[in-house]
Amino acid sequence: MNNGRGQADAFAGLHPAVNLTFFILAVGITMFVINPVFQIISAVSAVIYYHLIRRESAGKFSLICILPLSVLTAVLNPLFSHEGATILTYLPGGNPVTLESLIYGIGAGLMMAAVVSWFACLTAVFTSDKFVYLFGRLIPGLSLILSMALRFIPLFIKRLRDIGEAQKCIRGDSESDLWDRIKNGVKLLSALISWSLENAIDTADSMNSRGYGLKGRTAFSIYHFDTRDSVMLIWILFAAAMTVAGVYRGAAYWRYYPTVKGAVQDTGAIVTELLFLVLCMTPVMIDLYEDRRIRAMLKRNITE
Amino acid sequence: MNRKVKNVITAVLIAAVAVAAVILLFGRRTLTRSASSGAEEGANACTIAITCGTILDNMDILDKEKHELIPEDGVILPETVVSFEDGDSAFDVLEKVCRSQRIHLEFEESPMYGSIYIEGIGNIYEFDCGSLSGWMYSVNDEFPMFGSSEYVLKDGDRIVFAYTCDMGTDVGNASVGADGYE
Repeated sequence: MNNGRGQADAFAGLHPAVNLTFFILAVGITMFVINPVFQIISAVSAVIYYHLIRRESAGKFSLICILPLSVLTAVLNPLFSHEGATILTYLPGGNPVTLESLIYGIGAGLMMAAVVSWFACLTAVFTSDKFVYLFGRLIPGLSLILSMALRFIPLFIKRLRDIGEAQKCIRGDSESDLWDRIKNGVKLLSALISWSLENAIDTADSMNSRGYGLKGRTAFSIYHFDTRDSVMLIWILFAAAMTVAGVYRGAAYWRYYPTVKGAVQDTGAIVTELLFLVLCMTPVMIDLYEDRRIRAMLKRNITE
Repeated sequence: MNRKVKNVITAVLIAAVAVAAVILLFGRRTLTRSASSGAEEGANACTIAITCGTILDNMDILDKEKHELIPEDGVILPETVVSFEDGDSAFDVLEKVCRSQRIHLEFEESPMYGSIYIEGIGNIYEFDCGSLSGWMYSVNDEFPMFGSSEYVLKDGDRIVFAYTCDMGTDVGNASVGADGYE
């Protein structure tokens, strides 16, 4: 549902500070807690949320980008790490392939999947105007550079397509063998880079002449921190703090080497895991709740 | 150059890079292997033992997750008689006995010295018991100053792989000075 700010989900409609706090905490806990249960929770939540906000292109992203990445990590780890008590077989080089290093690879793959998915959500939710709104006055130079750098990849792709089409018009479409294609690719890249660099200087000059970073200047988008935002912020901070407290008490203890061993699944551990699950699912729940409310409203309007 | 030639050159280059990658990943010790390949099946025998008794005195600095790995008497492999072929190195015997006894062994080829470096035996690794800890080997109570893969065995040799917590001084390596090296 469009909330009037150009985003298609309700979580993105919250104050940028709430969005950023959530992503920092979710990614931070995922990266620093070495426990596959937490990584599964995080990865599943991130993928579900990504599918909610990018309905049509999400499947492609998960299948082409995330799945191979995780599988590759799981397969590659036993080739380089040979620690572990359970020897499955031996590599031609003589070092053992162990069950533990395979499991470690799966855990690392899950963590990568979770973090990459969270960052994919972050780019969709935390747009560059939000970034400039939050940090434009605090660190004007850095936030401009960052918002331009983050825009570069999609911009590069678009410009690459433009240049490619123009080149095709000039030369005709006759790139049959590999060598020619490499040669043309280098030409394309050279044009792309000089165009982009000049454009970046133009952008910086333009921002400068508009008084970017001066006192009293306002941001393009204005956000108000309302009650809903403070409630969500308090909830996110509370859930994250409780999760970290649980982890600190040993609820997420896990070791891969020399044998795989994890914390006993007592009440404390299960409560910590549930809290982390609810924390990670917060954006999904907000979106689904808003979706249902708007649908109910529309229904009422029709029947009235 | 015509296209076909260019394509072939590109393909050969890619193949060469792939082969180099595979060799870097899996290749090792062509030296010792080729030395022993032509030798006749000998009736040579040596003994090998693997001990980590020094850890028993240093349990407080041992990695917490590794406590369960340390045998009570500090002996991972009691003195075992192993037969070997002419030209086999101390490392070859270690690898053979570790495979047959299902003992974990991780090693690494160090190109700088052209020999094998042993990182861990039985999941006890270098640096697990302090910053001066790691695996050393001795043959007939002497500590050679080169890698075990370079030591060519003689009949009746007595090999000991011992874990040191103090750069070798605690396992009887007299060539190590008080400051850690010769």
